[in-house]
Amino acid sequence: MRQAILEVDGISKHFGGLAALDSVSFDVAPGEIVGLIGPNGAGKSTLFSTLVGLHKPTDGTVRLEGEDITGLKPHKVAARGLTKTFQNVALFMEATVLDNVLIGGLLRANVHDARELAKTCLARVGLADIAGKKAADLSFPERARVEVARALATKPKGLLLDEVMAALNRVEMEEIMDLIRSLSRDGLAVVVVEHHMHAIMTLCERIVVLNFGKKIAEGSPEEIARHPEVVRAYLGQEYE
Amino acid sequence: MKWWITGAVVLVAAAIVPTFLDPTGYAIRVLTLALLFAALGQAWNIVGGLANQISLGHAAFFGLGAYTSTILLINFGLSPWIGMLAGAAIAAVAAYLLSFPTMKLRGHYFALATLAFSEVLRVIAGSWTSVTGGPVGLSVPFSPDSFWLLQFKSTMPYYYIMLGALVVISGVFVWIRHSSLGYRLRALKENPEAAEVVGVNTTQVKISAAVISAALTATLGTLYAQFTYFFDPEAVFGIIPISVRAAIIAILGGAGTVVGPIIGAFLIVPMEEMANVLLSSRGAGLSQLAFGVMLIAIILIEPRGILALITNGVSRLRRRKSS
Repeated sequence: MRQAILEVDGISKHFGGLAALDSVSFDVAPGEIVGLIGPNGAGKSTLFSTLVGLHKPTDGTVRLEGEDITGLKPHKVAARGLTKTFQNVALFMEATVLDNVLIGGLLRANVHDARELAKTCLARVGLADIAGKKAADLSFPERARVEVARALATKPKGLLLDEVMAALNRVEMEEIMDLIRSLSRDGLAVVVVEHHMHAIMTLCERIVVLNFGKKIAEGSPEEIARHPEVVRAYLGQEYE
Repeated sequence: MKWWITGAVVLVAAAIVPTFLDPTGYAIRVLTLALLFAALGQAWNIVGGLANQISLGHAAFFGLGAYTSTILLINFGLSPWIGMLAGAAIAAVAAYLLSFPTMKLRGHYFALATLAFSEVLRVIAGSWTSVTGGPVGLSVPFSPDSFWLLQFKSTMPYYYIMLGALVVISGVFVWIRHSSLGYRLRALKENPEAAEVVGVNTTQVKISAAVISAALTATLGTLYAQFTYFFDPEAVFGIIPISVRAAIIAILGGAGTVVGPIIGAFLIVPMEEMANVLLSSRGAGLSQLAFGVMLIAIILIEPRGILALITNGVSRLRRRKSS
């Protein structure tokens, strides 16, 4: 197996007495696309937030390129090369699309270079023509793409995508999946949280299943589709 | 018209105006104060407008500036120009230290914490009599005319000094807004979590803005002391005369915009003077009441300030014309 770039080792997160995450472990190699699935409230978004430093884990370690990044502030995690998009879309609404992405670019460039980088990233997600629009005036699918562009502008090595395909039609979904595949070809380690099972099954080489904060399964899409506990907890009749 | 042509026209007009006025008269005094408070609103705007951290404690830095330069002048004969730099440095350190306890605070909590800090300084200034003169305050030793000692008999030179201060601070404001710090402040203002996740060090950004704003505010405290020749703790550390006024001037005109504080100051300062003249005979505090009513009105009509009111009006007129 390829040397992992992102190593999650025994991550737990307790809110008061509630264990939102219970000793979750998995690795992601460069160029790999890993799916993270599970019912609502399984801890997927909490896991992402914990990995990028928005929450301090109660226990466990996160390593990026072999270096311990557990408990670092989010901007330091981003500087090391790990960032995420937000499930509910957290753009800077009063700013233009270009300025939103530019702010990500400032991590590694001055304003001028960050603006050029932002244009490149917007072109990559197919939004070059609406760079001057205000973020608040965009449709939901467009906002999700700006989130991806802003994350790309930080030049990450690991990228956590939280439901960027929500509310997309079939064509738009294929476009985003092509984009994610091209990112993986560039060597990014990508983790995708998604509810569209079809997208997850065709996009990912490997899938991690969470339920009540615990990893209940990990494997190829075929293995996951046949896994009895996953079928019981999540997939139901559909994939039996 | 391009913005810089508008700016140049306004600046030339502002430079010509005093030649039509009595150089020691009342009108030029009011305009000089308006320029000073426009500059104060602009300094406040760096924190309040760009980062949306509503400070009600900017008097702390204003007072540090006034006291530092005046104490150095009285005791060591040091030029207020140098005292101004010393005051700015002290205010910058104070703002840096204040950043830590207020770091996690937002909204009212931040406002109250900054207010409390300025009150502490006001009380110290009122009780440390041997250095600050206590509640009586300090008088600047009078020896005009001297540019080096920043003292003039006529109001005219002060007018140009305040105009210069306003231009410099507005320049700093515009520069910050277009720099990486400005973009980061904007991100912080709109969504601090998202800003952090894409690499913005929100702690450092907040501190930078607070320190720059405080240092600039302190220089205005020095200018104020040299202009009025006399001040007491309430005059420079006061909540209403400095802290609230700075905030209201920026918010009323349009926080976060470069013209906002200028509009706000040139509305509020003359109106306040007028209210004092017209209403003071009918009972103390009436002018403050008029003030409060105005503020409530603007917040109900257009919370983004008068500038937004004007630009909305203009674009509506244009639309009507074109249709």
